[in-house]
Amino acid sequence: MSDLLRHAWNIARKDLVIELRSRTAFVSTLVFTVLVLIVFNFGRDPTATAVLDLAPGILCVTFTFAAMLALNRAFQLELENQALEGLLLTPISRRSIYLGKLFANLAFVGLVEAVGLPLFVVFFNVPVGHVLPALAGLIALSTIGFVAVGTLFSAMVIRTRFAELMLPVLQLPFSIPPLVLAVLATAKLFTGRPLDESLGYLKLLAAYDIVFIGLSTLLFPATVEE
Amino acid sequence: MPENIPQNAGYMVAAYIVTAIIVLAYAASLYRRTRGR
Amino acid sequence: MTLASRGRAVTVVALLLLVGVYIRALAFTPLERFQGAAQKIFYLHVPAAWSAMLAMGLVGLASVLYLLLKDPRFDRFAAASAEVGTAFCVVMLTTGPLWARPVWGTWWTWDARLTLTLFLFFLYIGYLLLRQAVADPGMRGRYSAVLGICGTVLLPFIHLSVYLFRTLHPQPIVLKPSAPSLPGVMLVTLLYSFGVFTLLYIGFVMQRYAVGEGDAHA
Repeated sequence: MSDLLRHAWNIARKDLVIELRSRTAFVSTLVFTVLVLIVFNFGRDPTATAVLDLAPGILCVTFTFAAMLALNRAFQLELENQALEGLLLTPISRRSIYLGKLFANLAFVGLVEAVGLPLFVVFFNVPVGHVLPALAGLIALSTIGFVAVGTLFSAMVIRTRFAELMLPVLQLPFSIPPLVLAVLATAKLFTGRPLDESLGYLKLLAAYDIVFIGLSTLLFPATVEE
Repeated sequence: MPENIPQNAGYMVAAYIVTAIIVLAYAASLYRRTRGR
Repeated sequence: MTLASRGRAVTVVALLLLVGVYIRALAFTPLERFQGAAQKIFYLHVPAAWSAMLAMGLVGLASVLYLLLKDPRFDRFAAASAEVGTAFCVVMLTTGPLWARPVWGTWWTWDARLTLTLFLFFLYIGYLLLRQAVADPGMRGRYSAVLGICGTVLLPFIHLSVYLFRTLHPQPIVLKPSAPSLPGVMLVTLLYSFGVFTLLYIGFVMQRYAVGEGDAHA
């Protein structure tokens, strides 16, 4: 078990170091996030719609777009350098590879979200201070669910025709639970509802994460074997 | 008990026709693809 | 007789029996007094939904067996069941709103049933697209199996979520499409239709499987 995690961490670290050196993916994802936030801002008439009506949706959709970009980039990078083949030749367990990729993707998306959230607060003037821990936890759970399935699927689609198109299409039904649950819970948080009203959503999110990380870890080897 | 039963047979007819079209179209597609087997 | 010709025979029988369903539902089953004629869509919609769900469940099962046993016949069956399931899913998705509109006043609502049918449809489309996009049969089988298994796990999860969501938020009681206890005549029509749709599923899958066999040996 510790081998599994150790190898996974090494793989994650490798990916993150590569990304840190070039920073292109991170910067482009961040720029995209800012762009989406700006567009949403101009897309609504402030006299007609209250920010709080749209804010949960805006936040979650923005982060979803960012996560999709990140996922695509992650495996593109692998494919370009054929690093995946190299990884597969090592005696490292396939499951470690999946977990490593998952950690790296999560770290990447997490960083984008960590920068994006304050921007969101500033652009839309939504007070989140009093619910920040709950909100952060919620975003984390939702992102984990989304990226867990996305990491598995991106491993598959990279080797198909129309790879960029296939990933969002395949992921669509699987993204909706993390997204919808997040939006519902975020709406509760933003409007100052007591925390236990969001608890149901959070539990469902956690359940989703556990189920699909487990399933993806189990199934990942089938996507990379020859 | 409502005095009038709602008059919505149009929807029923539409649904029955659409179903028939889909089922028959698929059956025809399969028939074409298995011809000669 | 080859599989294809047997499948064709089964399908023809099922289609003839389907005509019987139509006649019985339209002419010999009484009107439901609260929903009117539109309620009769129920006799097509529910069995179609059943077939679509059954088909996806079998895709999931075949996918697991394929990954474990590597027998290409399971993959072939999964592909067949998926395509047939999609057809029934389209029937379900078109008859659903046609029934909802007159009875609920809206084409669509995000209740448990309709949400699930939409998800099922997305899964099917994704599955079929994935199969189209992979040329190598071994890779195609493995990838499809992964997607099939994930999809089959997702569906009960969605069902549970929507159910839990509804218990968190009590909803106004809307007219229920299926009466709590169906009068005998209606029940018979429904069961008859279930049988016919199941037979149709079998006939379609036999043919589609035969198509897959043919492609493999081409």
